[in-house]
Amino acid sequence: MKKVSFIVLTAMFLVFLIGFTGQTMAAESSIVVVVDSPPRMMNPHGSDADSNLSVMANFFDGLMQRKGSDGTLEPALALRYEHPDLLTWTFYLRKGVTFHNGNSFTAEDVKFSFERLSDPKVSEFINTGKNISSIDVIDEYTVSITTKDPTPWFANNMHQVYMMDKESTESRTVGEVQQVPIGTGAYKFLEWVKGSYLKMVANEEYWEGAPPIKNVELRPITEASTRFAALVSGKAEIVSGVPVELYEKIVQNPKLDVISMPARRSIFLSLGNKPEDPWSDIRVRKAMYMAINEDEIIEKVMRGHAFPASQIPDPPTIGYNEGIKRLPYDPEMSKKLLKEAGYENGFEITLTGPNDRYIQDEQIAEAVVRYLAKVGIKATLDVKPKAIFFPEVFEGKLDFYLIGWFDGTFDMGRTFFKLIHTRDKEKGFGSLNGANFSNLDVDSLLQATASIVNQDARKAVLQYINKLATAENIACIPLHYQEDIYAIQKGKGIKFQPRPDRWIVFKEISK
Amino acid sequence: MTTYIIKRLIQGVIVLLAVSFICFLIFRSSGDPAISMAGQYATFQEIEEVRKVFGLDKPFYIQYARFITNAIKGNFGNSFVNKVPVLPLILERLPATVELAVSAIFIAFVLGVGLGVLVSLKPYALRNRFIMAGSLVNISMPTFLTGILLIMLFGVYLNILPPFGRGETVIVGFWRTGFLTLSGVTHLILPAFTLGMYQLAVLLRLTRAGMREVLTEDYIKTAWSKGLSPMKVIFKHALRNALIPVVTMTGLQFGELIAFSFVTELIFQWPGSGNLLLTSIYEQDQPVIVTYIMLAALIILSINILVDILYAILNPKIRYD
Repeated sequence: MKKVSFIVLTAMFLVFLIGFTGQTMAAESSIVVVVDSPPRMMNPHGSDADSNLSVMANFFDGLMQRKGSDGTLEPALALRYEHPDLLTWTFYLRKGVTFHNGNSFTAEDVKFSFERLSDPKVSEFINTGKNISSIDVIDEYTVSITTKDPTPWFANNMHQVYMMDKESTESRTVGEVQQVPIGTGAYKFLEWVKGSYLKMVANEEYWEGAPPIKNVELRPITEASTRFAALVSGKAEIVSGVPVELYEKIVQNPKLDVISMPARRSIFLSLGNKPEDPWSDIRVRKAMYMAINEDEIIEKVMRGHAFPASQIPDPPTIGYNEGIKRLPYDPEMSKKLLKEAGYENGFEITLTGPNDRYIQDEQIAEAVVRYLAKVGIKATLDVKPKAIFFPEVFEGKLDFYLIGWFDGTFDMGRTFFKLIHTRDKEKGFGSLNGANFSNLDVDSLLQATASIVNQDARKAVLQYINKLATAENIACIPLHYQEDIYAIQKGKGIKFQPRPDRWIVFKEISK
Repeated sequence: MTTYIIKRLIQGVIVLLAVSFICFLIFRSSGDPAISMAGQYATFQEIEEVRKVFGLDKPFYIQYARFITNAIKGNFGNSFVNKVPVLPLILERLPATVELAVSAIFIAFVLGVGLGVLVSLKPYALRNRFIMAGSLVNISMPTFLTGILLIMLFGVYLNILPPFGRGETVIVGFWRTGFLTLSGVTHLILPAFTLGMYQLAVLLRLTRAGMREVLTEDYIKTAWSKGLSPMKVIFKHALRNALIPVVTMTGLQFGELIAFSFVTELIFQWPGSGNLLLTSIYEQDQPVIVTYIMLAALIILSINILVDILYAILNPKIRYD
């Protein structure tokens, strides 16, 4: 029958198509990298999400940059900086650097870029921008920036603040600046098809020398199993955000290499201490801490892909205190402490948390609720999308919640002001202290750190604050550091060292 | 007919208004976009300032009224995340979704009607029973699972079809098409099958039911007894009459395929507007979400009206007045 022949023809056509699908071999110095979240825009100040900053790091440079597996701060567009008094930062710029459009990079561009930070229409770095009181161009290659408040971590943040070309940013429309980046970076923009790919090509005139990989194709794939398929079918050379559920499968695959490293982000449970609440009693706080079996959470919920944390900062961060140890898991002791505090029959508490933000966030919260139930504490689970959860943290409406944090400046000063300083709307402190933890000693010490510039002195004070808050007052119950997992194609000679901030900076990759 | 169309158009406008109002209401009460727009380290005052700049400090009804008056002028506002006008942002992604939906409905129609006719001729043959059972599986299997299974089978184990993305595309005017390159077409096969699978099963069952009914009619018996060729009886006499509800269904489903393609787009990382919707929901980009939903409602409404009109043309017995 004719219909049958139609089906046969269709089938033949399909086979014909399939025969041609063998992907063309990639050229020697090109690479396809798959990431888990798409870049939002090509405006380097428009998003402070690491997923966007990571992409922007290839088109733009900051005054400083972070390198290596421990994120050391190194010069980039500034050769060096001086910090003559508490409020002033003087940057001496690199000479002979040009933007991708040929314009040369000068102090005027620096001034322009910093001024742009405080405009909410184009920037999410409003906090950095509004903290600047004046920017003085001393000569073509020297800029002096004065901040309103002492900001000891100012230079530490300079790897995230990218320098833009004044001329081409002003002459183009806002929409165009959002779509086509013109920076000084190691790669030049080629094409961005939203949701599909972002293509870039090496900047042969790069001030640090041309990068080894000439063509880069960045492909976002949001769905984890599709990322896995892209990797296994050989359509991608480096994949970040390998899901823990698929880890075993990838390790077993002879064509793939897995690289993992402890992530900077720690996951912890913030706990308030309003006097009327049972958990303002330090014995109750300790009991809650000791009731949680973190080793089991790592083994069962995180499938082994996490590292126990005893505090919020990670080891390279100023303020990390080696002396702080985790309280042991000891439900008996926990019950005893509750009895001493007069809560033998437990109490009720609500554990809030996001369900779309951190690895296994909802499952971790579920596990915590079960552990607390074992010692008699009736915790109610209240997980919700991050879009609803984070505003609640900002409004300070919570008692007990799961959250994760790491500080891009590698200095806990800024973070502690947000997370554990008493909420103070006026001064803007404690905006992420959602459970209203308050300790006046912590507050006054923290305020004192604002004027400590000497790195050793800062370290000592921040370590002490950390101990006072985490170990002595249990402002939070630390759980674990996440693990970043990457997979790469084996046997292609790809040299790739993950960074602590999870950025993928293509000039650091070679093959 | 004309009064009917005018009535439908007025209804359509009311529906659109209702949709926009409900969307607005839902998204205004689900989180505060100013917090993420101000950046992680913003202070309370800085967040307040951002709220003012974007007009989010105004009461709900003022924000809604402003949105509607601007929308009538064709201005749907700027995205909170990208800070560029929303409508071009969505329209830029629409060709990918339309091409996917067209391919899906094409596959569903050709295979659905073809197999439906085949099955109706010998309903109790073993092969046809298998086809019917298979269509039940199709209807009950979630798109998500179908997609992942197809990717794993054809994209990973057999490695004969690309597992994700849209392949090479060509820009014709404002339209970025994947139809004109081999890579574009091969990238279409898996997602189009996944998206059209459910529709295929529905059309198959509908065609089969229609055909079985028509085949028992007297005029078909007459046709057979006249000694007409099977092709003529089946396709010219029977199928033509059985096709009316199938065409209606196909039309109605097409709108839904465009509006609800986001699951398929997510699995295959298809760069269409559905994928944009999901990213926007995740990032709380309210202007994009509201505009997308209004656009989807508009597409479905227009297709429904068109189908009604087509139905009247196909079947002159139908009168709407």
